[in-house]
Amino acid sequence: MADKFLKRENLGRLIDSVRNGGARFVAPAIDARQAVYRAISGADEVTWDYILPRNSFKDYLFPQTEVVAEYSIGEGGVEIRGRELSPKDTVVFGSRPCEAASLASLRSVFTWDSVDEFYTAREDKTTVVTVACTNGDEACFCTTVGLSPESVAGSDVMLRETADGDFSVTAITGRGRGFLSAHSAAFEDSGSGSAQKPLFVPEKIEGVDISRIKERLARKEHYDDPVWAGLTRKCIGCGACTFVCPTCHCFDIIDEGTAFEGERRKNWDACQFDSFTLHASGHNPRDAQFKRWRNRFMCKFNFYPNKFNSRGCVGCGRCIRVCPVRLDITEVMEEMSR
Amino acid sequence: MNNLYLPHLATIEDIYEEAPDVRSFRLVFKDERLRDTFDFKAGQFALYSAFGLGESTFCIASPPTRKGYVQCTFRRTGRVTGGLAEMSIGDVIGFRGPYGNHFPVDDWKGRNMVFIAGGIGLPPVRSLIWNVLDRREDFGNITIVYGARTAADLVYKNELKHWAGMGDVRVVETVDPGGETPDWKGKIGFVPTVLEEAAPSSKDAVAVTCGPPIMIKFVINALGKLGFADGSIYTTLENRMKCGIGKCGRCNVGDIYICKEGPVYTAAEVKRMYNDF
Repeated sequence: MADKFLKRENLGRLIDSVRNGGARFVAPAIDARQAVYRAISGADEVTWDYILPRNSFKDYLFPQTEVVAEYSIGEGGVEIRGRELSPKDTVVFGSRPCEAASLASLRSVFTWDSVDEFYTAREDKTTVVTVACTNGDEACFCTTVGLSPESVAGSDVMLRETADGDFSVTAITGRGRGFLSAHSAAFEDSGSGSAQKPLFVPEKIEGVDISRIKERLARKEHYDDPVWAGLTRKCIGCGACTFVCPTCHCFDIIDEGTAFEGERRKNWDACQFDSFTLHASGHNPRDAQFKRWRNRFMCKFNFYPNKFNSRGCVGCGRCIRVCPVRLDITEVMEEMSR
Repeated sequence: MNNLYLPHLATIEDIYEEAPDVRSFRLVFKDERLRDTFDFKAGQFALYSAFGLGESTFCIASPPTRKGYVQCTFRRTGRVTGGLAEMSIGDVIGFRGPYGNHFPVDDWKGRNMVFIAGGIGLPPVRSLIWNVLDRREDFGNITIVYGARTAADLVYKNELKHWAGMGDVRVVETVDPGGETPDWKGKIGFVPTVLEEAAPSSKDAVAVTCGPPIMIKFVINALGKLGFADGSIYTTLENRMKCGIGKCGRCNVGDIYICKEGPVYTAAEVKRMYNDF
């Protein structure tokens, strides 16, 4: 049963209410003819015509680049100051269920053993408003990894589109309930009674079995199986899959600045790059592209579930859409299910 | 806010030239309180930074039994180590750590110790050697087998002499064929072969090895031939790292994160790993 209703024409009211409260409103907007998540200021910037934005909204929790410390070297010697993060309240509107489910995965990496507050401080200030999928494409495969277009994991509020273009609104978490009451002026108590629009449910890929993949990856012998090199030979190592992936978390730590002052930054990095694991000696444990691809696949279907007890792949299909050589992860999943 | 990436500042108190392009820093924390409280165990590592250039990972080469300073030894190879190599006594660098697990020294009481290192693999073992020597009465016979490509590339030359002269430490030095000098008195041959010839007894013994990955693999085989059980062979693996705390995603061997579960492993654990190091 829906808690509230949102009329499409009242989105502007919601945006204003959120922004007047001092929060940032992030939603899909058109940029270079593609939908991307962006901080927006008015309803006219928001696009409804999207399957998934090109980027993941992890950009707002784990930014592509961020300062963690600043150094200066002067007459008084060396000084280093940690960056104090006081993240803005952020509302991500128009998330999809697949992507919302990835938050628990990122959190699991950034909080195991030690807590990386650069991530948690942002996530703790983020409200995720998900719109169940009424649209999809052939790259979507959430149902194959155990999710669905109406999964609620990771969402604070779920929206379901109705036939007349409005939305029924359900609070999933306490944060979501707080969001609905804080911005109650934007919502209606009852809807028009119009039926819900049918969901887009991707067909489960026949021949893919996640538990079989896990079993196969857990056996060491698969490492030397020539199938890896065969399947992934065409990979050019561009790393695009990792940048759009909502669960990819790898980063580099670098200094930017001069010998006198500058910043220490955490920058996204990718396990697909040949220098990623290169030792100072010249030795490289992952010295071929297929080994790097194998590592990424292992990360999704072995490390994440076994080590971090969370899901490594949410089936959003971004890596498939963005791959310049059409290397489709579901084909590898199929092979690894054998 | 607890900032995992914020380094301590440390002053370079002394610099030792160890070999061509290899040098050691003796570091003292700027924070005086930290000098007294800083604690670590042999085998742990840290991230050292040259501000403006970035951070690099090396082990802590001094033993935990020597307080008040830490020593690191590094080879000049890239941007950060190049920057560090240009620093002088009195300069300040960043230090993040200690990270990782450590050698279970306390479990080895009463055992004979065999240390096998290659090239720049001696620094982590040095921490342990001094740790053991500082508690000499706790351990039995001590053997050190150490080799490098050339006689010049051997690090800690003075300490090797010192250890050899102690009377109760057997030191076997070797250089790769062609790496000897006219006055070279040590062995000529690769470390695993020389180790087999030196044949330290595996009875009540623990072996610890560090060096290039390929050397580690062959040393483990050689130790096996000498009768060492996989559970009595320890090594330290040092993959490339950026964070040191299990977040940045690059030091893993399969699902094992060297920075968290390692860098110290037994040969039994190494043999269970994916062939990825």
